[in-house]
Amino acid sequence: MKARIAFGSIIMMFVLTLPANAGGKGELQKHFNDAANKVKATENASEKRQILNESFQSMSKVLDKVQSSGLISNEDRVGINSLQATLKKNQDELAGNNGYERVSDVQLNDFSNYVVQNMEQAEMISISVVTLLLIIILVVLLV
Amino acid sequence: MQNSHNRSVWDAPYPMLVISVCCATLIMLLSSCSANLPVQRKTQLAEEGVLEVQYSIICVIHGDGDYLYHDTSGNEYKADEEALAGAKKVAQQNPNAEVFIFHQRPRRHLLFIFPLRDGEFFYYRNGRLIANEMYWRDQGQSCFEHEVELYRRFREINKGKTVSMFLYYGHEIPQFGGAGYDASYPDRTFTVLDFANGLKDFTPESARFNLMILSTCFSGTPYTIGTLGPFARTIIASPENLHLSYFDFHALERLDLSLRDGDVPAFAKRFAHQTFDRLASDLQTAVSISVYDADRVQNYLHSIHKVYDHTLTTIKENSSSSTVPIEHCDCAELPAYVLPTMNNGVDVFYRSASFGISKFKQNHSGWECWREIVP
Repeated sequence: MKARIAFGSIIMMFVLTLPANAGGKGELQKHFNDAANKVKATENASEKRQILNESFQSMSKVLDKVQSSGLISNEDRVGINSLQATLKKNQDELAGNNGYERVSDVQLNDFSNYVVQNMEQAEMISISVVTLLLIIILVVLLV
Repeated sequence: MQNSHNRSVWDAPYPMLVISVCCATLIMLLSSCSANLPVQRKTQLAEEGVLEVQYSIICVIHGDGDYLYHDTSGNEYKADEEALAGAKKVAQQNPNAEVFIFHQRPRRHLLFIFPLRDGEFFYYRNGRLIANEMYWRDQGQSCFEHEVELYRRFREINKGKTVSMFLYYGHEIPQFGGAGYDASYPDRTFTVLDFANGLKDFTPESARFNLMILSTCFSGTPYTIGTLGPFARTIIASPENLHLSYFDFHALERLDLSLRDGDVPAFAKRFAHQTFDRLASDLQTAVSISVYDADRVQNYLHSIHKVYDHTLTTIKENSSSSTVPIEHCDCAELPAYVLPTMNNGVDVFYRSASFGISKFKQNHSGWECWREIVP
């Protein structure tokens, strides 16, 4: 029994260490990359919009939960705010809200690439690994 | 019967496994503590190169952060590993060059306890690998102390004219603060000033690199170029975000052909143009690459020095007391920076993002500044 517990603990440590080693951000990037792959795999523009919109909404929901958890620092709060603002802009542009020109149907694949590339740039650099792990766990559980 | 169940945990083959792990740990510990110099000797000294070294390239690749990116097919890449492969190819394709590659990797531990060396050094001369060593990268005062040590040990002293280049591939080098740049060392700071202090030891006798390539986000700022100007005659940098697919290494292969005339500024413009074309075809985000003539931009930098310093000081003060949101912007959007000398000594290759609020932006001054975010 002890051996099983020890073995299980080691496996858990490896599982938890993997995303930490990757800086955690990679897991978030995968969320948007997966959405972009799905967008490109479908021909239907409405479905493409739905996939993108759902990926923004689910991530926003997770970020809201992390924000309201009270477990994060002020610095992380600023980083998450910035990430949320970026998601909101993307959502607005997709739908053509708040002064944005609506992304046309023929541009949706390019837009999905833009979202991935934009996320890969400096947006999440100020969020700590611990908070990123919290976000990832919630993404896995809720999305 | 009971004994046979109990035996399953501690009897063979586990003792062998435990002994093997202990031996491996001991070997790792002994090798970790061994040398005076913080390097693990795995050097393969080769015979002297037959061709004279005409190009000396130092390439520092920061890999201790999040460097994952995807291509448009969804394939994953680790930017630092890609950069390392590119740097090695440059080293192998240049028969007249010596190339120093420093790969700064994340800190790792053996069995979660024993630290392992977190820097890897490659030295190529005349297209051949001469040395490959692991080293510690976090035990000195200067950010490049151990890199400089290795550089001095292997560099070719050439009395002839050598074209020297310094390449840095990594995340944005902070202009202030700088904590958390290394994911493995969250308390350690790394700023433009630290970077410049580190460069001093690479450039003896007040010499300057002929070319410096900063493959990072937001390095085309008045402060960064002003601080690094004394170390390089020509600097290639991105004023805005730079995607992790980075500046091209391809243009640095076969320098004996592409830089035959020795005209480094012209080569820098070709390099920037080629990289711009590739990035613009691959990316939907903005692409901005500038080539700075470090001497010719001095007039402009001198003119805006006070106002930019004031901005930096204000940001630093605010960052410790409150959370005034700030963002990068083209200096040309701020009247205090718009001067007749603004474009002197700067060649800019710019294409706006295909989406987002700046998608209609036509051009960029080549200089990136700060401003407060208006709600």
